[in-house]
Amino acid sequence: MTTTAYRSRVETTGAGFGGLVRAELTKLVTVPRWLLTLAAAVLLSVLVAGLAALGAGQDNSGGDGGGPPVAHNPLEPFQDRGHFVHRELTGDGDLIVRVDSQEGGGWAKAGLMIRAAEEPGADYAAVMVTPEHGVRFKSGTGTDLAGSSAASPTWLRLTLTGTTVTALESPDGINWTGVGTVELPGLPAKTLAGLFVAVPDEVVVTRQFGTESISGNTVETTAVFGSLAFTGDLAPEWGEREHPTGPAVTDDRTGYTVSGTAVTVTGTGDLGPDMFSPDATRMTLTSVLIGLCAVISLAVLFITAEYRRGMIRTSFLVSPARGRVLLAKAIVIGGAGFAAGLLAALGSFALASAGGVVPPLPDLFAWPVLRALIGTGVMVAAAAILALAVGSLIRHSAVAIALVLLALLVPQVAASGLPLSAANWVERLTPAAGFAVQQTVARYDVAIGPEAGLAVLCAYAAAAMAFALWRQKRRDA
Amino acid sequence: MRRAIHAEWTKLRTLPSTGWLLAGTVLAIVAASLVGILSTDTRHCPTPAECFEDTVKLSLGGIRLGQIVVVVLAVLAVSGEYATGTMRQTLIAGPRRLTVLAAKAVVVAAAVAGAGTLGVLGSLVAGRLILPGNGFTEADGYPPPSLADGPTLRAAGGSVGYLVLVALLALGAALVIRDTAGTITAVFVLLFVAPIAGLVVTDPEWRELLDRFTPMTAGLSVQSTVGLDSLPIGPLGGLGVLAAYSAAALVAGSALFAVRDQ
Repeated sequence: MTTTAYRSRVETTGAGFGGLVRAELTKLVTVPRWLLTLAAAVLLSVLVAGLAALGAGQDNSGGDGGGPPVAHNPLEPFQDRGHFVHRELTGDGDLIVRVDSQEGGGWAKAGLMIRAAEEPGADYAAVMVTPEHGVRFKSGTGTDLAGSSAASPTWLRLTLTGTTVTALESPDGINWTGVGTVELPGLPAKTLAGLFVAVPDEVVVTRQFGTESISGNTVETTAVFGSLAFTGDLAPEWGEREHPTGPAVTDDRTGYTVSGTAVTVTGTGDLGPDMFSPDATRMTLTSVLIGLCAVISLAVLFITAEYRRGMIRTSFLVSPARGRVLLAKAIVIGGAGFAAGLLAALGSFALASAGGVVPPLPDLFAWPVLRALIGTGVMVAAAAILALAVGSLIRHSAVAIALVLLALLVPQVAASGLPLSAANWVERLTPAAGFAVQQTVARYDVAIGPEAGLAVLCAYAAAAMAFALWRQKRRDA
Repeated sequence: MRRAIHAEWTKLRTLPSTGWLLAGTVLAIVAASLVGILSTDTRHCPTPAECFEDTVKLSLGGIRLGQIVVVVLAVLAVSGEYATGTMRQTLIAGPRRLTVLAAKAVVVAAAVAGAGTLGVLGSLVAGRLILPGNGFTEADGYPPPSLADGPTLRAAGGSVGYLVLVALLALGAALVIRDTAGTITAVFVLLFVAPIAGLVVTDPEWRELLDRFTPMTAGLSVQSTVGLDSLPIGPLGGLGVLAAYSAAALVAGSALFAVRDQ
């Protein structure tokens, strides 16, 4: 005879996951000091950003101190420097030259240029040869086309027809291959046509008095041009535009000589991205660090307080599947962190914009800025989830808070005392990599890209969360 | 007073977390110092002799990390009693509140000073052994750190003093706030606000104010042994700024401790 074991007929109605999330949300919003902490996190961040905006009176963009900063667009800083030797051209023209030799490093540039005016930022089109990166065609800040991989001696040709500039290259001056064409609608009837040389500043790391400083040291480039053949309505006299013009540059480093069809040009300064431009958005958003400290403490307490007060037993009674409780907590605290981070970032940005910081902040709706603002929210959310997971693993508020703050704060601060190579690795490998999402400008000191940095922090948060879920099932509550 | 100190010592000694935290302090100081020592060499110097590296300060870099553990230890010594309710028994046994507080401060300071001394000595030994291999040789003007040397002794003793003052600051703050999480966060923000704001503030005058009058940057200037003229604040003056913060926190903490219900 078999007997069937008794089974209760009462229907089990465990809380659905939505109900769990609502329960956790209720826990968060019904503790007045927690809500206060969130509000304080946002307010303090915005306040510090405002104070910093007041304190950021002067621009110390570094670099070689040569010439004014050339900012077409603060998000894609571009330097329009170099030494340009030119004649005035009326109407269409055809410029041909052979670059015989050049020196100044792998990215030294020598070639032909047509531009609307001398001022940096004016419309231009240029074809050039580099010692190690072949022939290139540049126009404005965005056009940069690669030609063949030839080095000097090589022939270059630039033709202007109406407002269309076409660049060609040739190994022998007979067989021409196109490099690129660009339409410059704003080109006036009288343009400047001629030869230019440019070379990027050399990034030099110097260690003295216990700190390392990076500076852009001016490099000099010299190119020898031959078989000069300019056709069109050209003024006979030559003019020149030197750059940089700052006090750091002595006159004898830049100059030119013309003899018949041979021209030698020496100059400094680059035509290309400016790696020393300040990142105003990132500087403004640094203040969110203060709010982040408060959010981290809150996220740790969100779980450790339950252990201390025994509330966790009630939570597990309601949902015996413990992992779901922790996941619901992660969703709630992550959401709160995202909201606080985004509000703090938006507030800081708005206050700093209104305060008129130097350098000026870019437009809010440009993608790098939006990425930085939304990314700050995601970063705070990921940090909150990391803190929750660490709190769940350690169950001890003080130690958990100290550990997470250590992981996020100290790399930022300690990095300044370390040599740059070590500091870069600290900024890549620790959870503090998440702050990279606040970058909006490509600079010489970028350790990790914005998305990659945020991914590092999210990976830490995910790993800690997975470990916490695994441990939680194996321990008493 | 002797009995109060004995009681506080027993409480601190028998907490399992104390041993871990003190060991963690030593470990954090030495490990972080090692990172700095191992990763610094004369490669980027104009010449090794023109680097003007402060090898003592470099060797003691781990104090920045060690202070975090010290803060946790000091805060727990107070807020732990509030969290568990031990504070009531403590005050029944010793109703003179200021005596209790003084005993607590003495015990915590002594424990931190002991761990700090070990960490500082370990860091200096590491610097002494490793730095000559990285190009900071005696011939180039970097004698191995020795406590017989006045400035080095000041930097080493000052670093221990720095940790003790940070512990007292945290102790005072914990008496005011009484909550573990809140106190730790507040002390961290206070300590790190200047380095963080330093990343944002570019105005030289503001920066100098921050460097001179915030607890961490001012206090750590005691580690400098060369180039004292270019410091925003002198070594002992800087430690004095931190001492003023600690004193303010202790005064506020003891005043509230004396008048509030426990």
